Amino acid sequence: MASNTTSTHPSGRIKFIGELGAALRAQQPLFVGLCVIAVLWQVSTYFLPRIIAPPLQEIGVAMWQIFSDYQQFVHLLTTGLRVFVALIVSFIVGSILGIAMGTFDEVSKYAKPLLHFIQGIPALSWVVFAVIWFANVELRIGFILLIVTMPAFALYIDGAVRSVNLDFVHLGQAFRANWTQRFRMITIPAIVPEVMSAWVVNLGAGVRVAMVAELIGSTTGVGFQLLNAQALFDMAGAIAWTLSLVALLSVYLGVIRFVESRLLAWRPKGERQ
Amino acid sequence: MTGPAPILFANVSKTFFKHDGTPFFACRELSFEVKAREIVAIVGETGCGKSTSFNMLLGLQKPDVGDIQVLGLDPFSESDALRGQVGIIFQSDRLLPWRTTIENISFGLEVLNIPLTQRRQTAGKWLERVGLKGFEDAYPHELSGGMRQRVSIARAFAIEPKILYADEAFTALDELTAERIRKDLLELIRETAITTLFITHSVSEAVDIAQRVLVFGRPGCLICEINCEENRAAGKSTHEIEQLIRQGLRVAHKTMSAEGAGEGVATDEVVRAEGSTSKGREPI
Ligand SMILES: Nc1ncnc2c1ncn2[C@@H]1O[C@H](COP(=O)(O)OP(=O)(O)OP(=O)(O)O)[C@@H](O)[C@H]1O
Ligand SMILES: [Mg+2]
Repeated sequence: MASNTTSTHPSGRIKFIGELGAALRAQQPLFVGLCVIAVLWQVSTYFLPRIIAPPLQEIGVAMWQIFSDYQQFVHLLTTGLRVFVALIVSFIVGSILGIAMGTFDEVSKYAKPLLHFIQGIPALSWVVFAVIWFANVELRIGFILLIVTMPAFALYIDGAVRSVNLDFVHLGQAFRANWTQRFRMITIPAIVPEVMSAWVVNLGAGVRVAMVAELIGSTTGVGFQLLNAQALFDMAGAIAWTLSLVALLSVYLGVIRFVESRLLAWRPKGERQ
Repeated sequence: MTGPAPILFANVSKTFFKHDGTPFFACRELSFEVKAREIVAIVGETGCGKSTSFNMLLGLQKPDVGDIQVLGLDPFSESDALRGQVGIIFQSDRLLPWRTTIENISFGLEVLNIPLTQRRQTAGKWLERVGLKGFEDAYPHELSGGMRQRVSIARAFAIEPKILYADEAFTALDELTAERIRKDLLELIRETAITTLFITHSVSEAVDIAQRVLVFGRPGCLICEINCEENRAAGKSTHEIEQLIRQGLRVAHKTMSAEGAGEGVATDEVVRAEGSTSKGREPI
């Protein structure tokens, strides 16, 4: 794509660590907020029954078990893998549809209202439909994730393709670039920012929906573990699984941000987040 | 110079529509030609259809009536055959913001499917030629306006085109920068003996660079042309030639006001009225 000369810089690693440090510093208010909640929580454990508010140590132990016991960790991995694979498929399908929509008005005319309609259906309904339609668990979850996240990819990319600067399109035409060349050299780099935004939005949505799907239609994954915790009235477990899920999402978002910073290195500093 | 003219406009008309749907001419019965290796400037009031005629030359728009030929080909329908033959410098530099200087200069070469190493070599040569050595990996936002326009000049020349178009290439720059870059561009044009057609708002720029100046009137028609070389040979000073062009522009302005409808409304009536007046090259 655009440029592949940026990463081979000798000070690249130092720069990367610097960027990481800056990214963490930017999260400082969040850490402060979390610390406040932790303190309040710990105080409340002295007044509330254990089953409602287990102390932090207990949650810590539950977390430790998730990450140290492979039998448990595999559930987190499973959820992570499901979301990852489903989003990749969703991205491919959504890109093809989005590009077709952005390129041909007729496709957009019919696809857009339909996608908005699909987006309007609650995720929970799709879970119910999927459980009835598919016997295979992975197929169920994959379908739900696809149907929930694909419209956003398609709509974001449709909008991005439409708003490619006409000056650049004309530049391509004036240099007699053919359609594929214009697509590769102008459209794709121009839509990267919107594509990355779509990924951020869909990661959040994907993880949330995967939970619901697993809770209802699966015997593996974090969602299933949450169901277990509920059945056992295991509050510490429920919190630990939730936190591990948040950690998973943060890792994914971190990867997205990293890819974004590489792909959008050409942007002036002020325009990047 | 023998053979067909590299650029040929024959009775070209182009109509656009206003917001309310009424049609108006952006170009009307426009005819001119540019001979091989000639440097020709177009001057004319704003909105007189200069860019529109350029867009038609580039094959971005199709004329409603008339014939346009570039190197003997129709730029609209035979667009592919012209690949690599035409270099363009736009008013705004139109550098792709996600490409470094060297990658921007390579743009046209990439369209021609030139292999990467060769592309970089050629682009590097042109980068040096326009005086931007050391800025290979800079992104457009890291360059000044003048530097960016230099990149776009290098991009146009890198494909070694037979024809060069420039649409108000220097309007976005300050006087001093514009003058410097103009000088360098002229040097490049002379060195490569490239057929050049450029639009400008500056009469002195036109006289400076061009051998022949076409004065456009509204809507997009040729009012007169001034041959700078012949005038110079006849002993006229630069100042006198500039005066001739200004006179042409005044005539163009008067023709426009005399039309009443001004914008050149494309109704039968106006067209008929126009047809009866002695349009075209007025003796100057
Ligand atoms: N795509 C379009 N649709 C409708 N009207 C247009 C279009 N392109 C140009 N016009 C109109 O056609 C007329 C000629 O425009 P054009 O851009 O060719 O003028 P110009 O001579 O290049 O002016 P300038 O010196 O300001 O660049 C203008 O009135 C403009 O508003
Ligand atoms: Mg113009």
